[in-house]
Amino acid sequence: MKTKSFLKNYLNYAIIALVAIIFTVLSLTGGTSPKEIYLLEKIAISIILAVSLSMVVGFLGELSLGHAGFMCVGAYLGGKLASILEPIIGNGILALIISVLAGGIAAAIFGIIIGLPALRLRGDYLAIVTLAFGEIIRSVVMNAPEKLFGGTLGLETPRFDKKYLFIIAFALVLICLAVTQNLMRSKHGRAITSIRDNEIAARATGINVTKYKLFVFTISSFFAGIAGVLYSYSNYRIQSANFDYNYSIEILVMVVLGGIGSINGSIIAATLITFLNVNLQTKLTGDLAVLQNLFYAAILIVIVIYKNAPALKTFREKYSLANLKKRRKEKDQNG
Amino acid sequence: MKTTFCKVLAVVMCLLMVAACFVGCGEKKETYIIGLSGPLTGGAAVYGTAVKNAAQMAVDEINAAGGLDGVKFELLALDDQHDASKVSTNYADMVAKGMIVSLGCVTTNPCLEFANLSSEDNIFFLTPSASGNDVVKKDNAYQMCFADGNQGKVAADYVNTLGLDKIGIFYKSDDSYSKGIFDQFKANLNSSIATVEAVFTDANQTDFTAQIDTLKECEFIFMPIYYTPASIFMTQAKGKVADNATYYGCDGFDGIESADGFDITAIPQKVSMLSHFNSKATDGKAAEFIKKYTEKFGADTLNQFGAAAYDCVYALYNAMKEAKEAGKDINPNMSAEELCTILKEKFNGGFTFSGATGDNIKWQSTGYVDKVAIAYVIKEANA
Amino acid sequence: MDFITALINGLSSGGTYAMIAIGYTMVYGIAKMLNFAHGDVIMVGGYAMYVTLLALGHPLIAVLAAVIFCIILGVTIERFAYRPLRGASPLAVLITAIGVSYLLQSLAQIIFGSSPKMPLQLQISGAVKLGALSVDYSTILTITVTVVVMAILSLFVKYSKTGRAMVAVSEDRDAALLMGINTNAIITITFAIGSALAAIAGYMMLCKAPSLSNTLGAMPGIKAFTAAVIGGIGSIPGAMLGGLLLGIVESISYSIPAIAPYTDAVEFSILIIVLLVKPSGILGKARREKV
Repeated sequence: MKTKSFLKNYLNYAIIALVAIIFTVLSLTGGTSPKEIYLLEKIAISIILAVSLSMVVGFLGELSLGHAGFMCVGAYLGGKLASILEPIIGNGILALIISVLAGGIAAAIFGIIIGLPALRLRGDYLAIVTLAFGEIIRSVVMNAPEKLFGGTLGLETPRFDKKYLFIIAFALVLICLAVTQNLMRSKHGRAITSIRDNEIAARATGINVTKYKLFVFTISSFFAGIAGVLYSYSNYRIQSANFDYNYSIEILVMVVLGGIGSINGSIIAATLITFLNVNLQTKLTGDLAVLQNLFYAAILIVIVIYKNAPALKTFREKYSLANLKKRRKEKDQNG
Repeated sequence: MKTTFCKVLAVVMCLLMVAACFVGCGEKKETYIIGLSGPLTGGAAVYGTAVKNAAQMAVDEINAAGGLDGVKFELLALDDQHDASKVSTNYADMVAKGMIVSLGCVTTNPCLEFANLSSEDNIFFLTPSASGNDVVKKDNAYQMCFADGNQGKVAADYVNTLGLDKIGIFYKSDDSYSKGIFDQFKANLNSSIATVEAVFTDANQTDFTAQIDTLKECEFIFMPIYYTPASIFMTQAKGKVADNATYYGCDGFDGIESADGFDITAIPQKVSMLSHFNSKATDGKAAEFIKKYTEKFGADTLNQFGAAAYDCVYALYNAMKEAKEAGKDINPNMSAEELCTILKEKFNGGFTFSGATGDNIKWQSTGYVDKVAIAYVIKEANA
Repeated sequence: MDFITALINGLSSGGTYAMIAIGYTMVYGIAKMLNFAHGDVIMVGGYAMYVTLLALGHPLIAVLAAVIFCIILGVTIERFAYRPLRGASPLAVLITAIGVSYLLQSLAQIIFGSSPKMPLQLQISGAVKLGALSVDYSTILTITVTVVVMAILSLFVKYSKTGRAMVAVSEDRDAALLMGINTNAIITITFAIGSALAAIAGYMMLCKAPSLSNTLGAMPGIKAFTAAVIGGIGSIPGAMLGGLLLGIVESISYSIPAIAPYTDAVEFSILIIVLLVKPSGILGKARREKV
């Protein structure tokens, strides 16, 4: 039983590590093309974004529409630091670690600043305030002096060696996963989910709701910032236009598609959607490209209604995967 | 337990699927593949479509004439929607499909990313229309159009000769193209000319009331912006900006006559722009191009971007042909890097080209183009 | 002088924001949900006007058609996307609304393409000259319509039976249900009114600047919601006040060159400041959540 629960808890790490190792070997032996490596980098970034947003949406039950804004903070500050460090200590792993930490911390600080007023209010306000925050950040970064953040041309950042960046990105995915998963399985995690399920009851049992909300929000922003730094390392130039509200929505689609509250689901959905995005982009051209958005919108609506509609509750319980299996088992035992 | 297993299994399947898609490649190539990334949809689609059409037309003509010693060319055009974040994917796809030489990107912002990526692999590109100064910073990059700095300077030189004491400027402060021209324009404008400036930032903005009110006293308005917002501005400014005023734009104005639903004849003011292509030409290579293009695609997307793209393909073809005749080994299975070295040598070594966008076009080793600019009047003021 | 011009322009765009914000605030007050797709209803209304214009050619008929079409659309969205989720978590409703917003935008792009359309017949140009000052006809129209609509709606909510039922539903939906009010019908009516206002707002936008694309309503929608929050969500005069305030701030910000590029940031910062200082908005009532 013990090995089973061990498997259950750590299998996802093992698989991600395995995939990373396979591609590392392939990459070092020259068996991968730039396209694959680029895709892997993108997938890793998407997974970090989706898992960190899933903390806020899935476990805290609040909606943030500014995830791309926090990513933007990380990308610009981390990217700027990396380009400052480049002439001093080179474009090596040390510079990367420093930039990643700095970008993450900067995003976390912004998370606190935004979360403090917004989290005391009703849920919808957080959504609109984070959205506003994303737009403010974009506008400020874009109009900052050209020497500082590159202005409209975007900021030129050092590109990390292609052969190794995705390995580092996957290592960061594992760290993100470890933090999220362990946090959610701890006493604090249970406190957090209790806030989602019934805030008033949670408060009545002595849980400091605001503190926990802010805590989760900050951690989530931290990882969004890290994803931003990775993004800046995987591109030669970052442009604030990329971190718009649509990008936040795309991350949200990943979380919802993966099943709200499921970390593994977010990972799968992030992988799948990034894969589709990258591959469909070069295949669907013209106004057909928008079919992709149509598809995401439809998925969002159908899944949310199916999972949440009170009228469908009995239907859901009857046909859920877990229950189907349970019934089959019972059937086997009886007959 | 079982559900976890299912989920994990799903992850594995996904990743296997990813891995499966990677297998392949390596077959022998039989054509020269030219890569191109441009906005085939979205607000700048007129440019992307024109470039794609004209480049395809040039490729077809070259192939019909037997290609380069019997080896044909192939155009691989992908859509980037004027979004720089889509370029890396497009670039990787083109490389995977065997791109040997490129037209880069159609618009500046995406092309900056493209320039970095292609310099990594040393793939030669000659962009028809990405006019940013930094586009050609790397040594594998060349432009067929004027660089923004140059456009800003040429425009300022022109305005300096007009004898005005006040002009209006309307630009998009978050767009590198618009801002780049604006900065150079401002730097080269006579200090005796006062300027009134108005900006916008939201690409989807449709209400320019505030900006028009800022600029309405000006009789000359310089607008280094793309034609979509310009057409909205002009439509909205009717009756506010004086009827005898002049709107003056750069290459971004090109295509404004054919903007969807926009009626330029209803605009009382004069509309003109800086260009390297005269779309009303009646003789020379430009007229030839206009005839062929309109026969094939109609006049709707006829503009300098298409003409430049047509020239780009022919310039690449001519350069390759000349190099081959001079004894260089050029074949479809050579690496893009080898071809890049040959082409760079050619373009830096006084290669000249005459086409629809000018005669005796030459390139500086910085990648900038040397040719003559014209002040092209799209429409005179209604009397 | 420039300041006064900026002020007048602000009233004009503020009137449009107010019109959209009233729709947001009514739906939020009564259905307790942030209807993210509200801005996109404006866009659909715009296309409805465009199509009718092509077919029939008269602006007034086009506006009428757009209003009817938007009412049908609004009610349909409510019936099929939001009603199934009544009683579910607010998060689920909000995500669905975002989905609907995207769905409308994508559909519009598939049907009409991504390049903007210009329904020029809708444009109202010309201005009244008052000395050195000139006020656009479109500005006068916008402000008049907004004020009239706000007055009618306020009276409707205060004195009509349906209006009072709306207030009851917004105060306490369960209690209203127990009092014999058909809450579903009331919510449907609210959506119908909101969507009709969206169509009119669409006309206000197009009569100033006749350019129509699938993102027409996206940014104005978000800004109008900001306006509704600033004015106090759930309050019709609050939405009006918030809308005008936001419009004026925007216009003044555009007229100062140093700040102009930061206009969006300025507007959204006001939202954050208001939420910090007075979370219930300028005219909103603070409400305690009961157990």
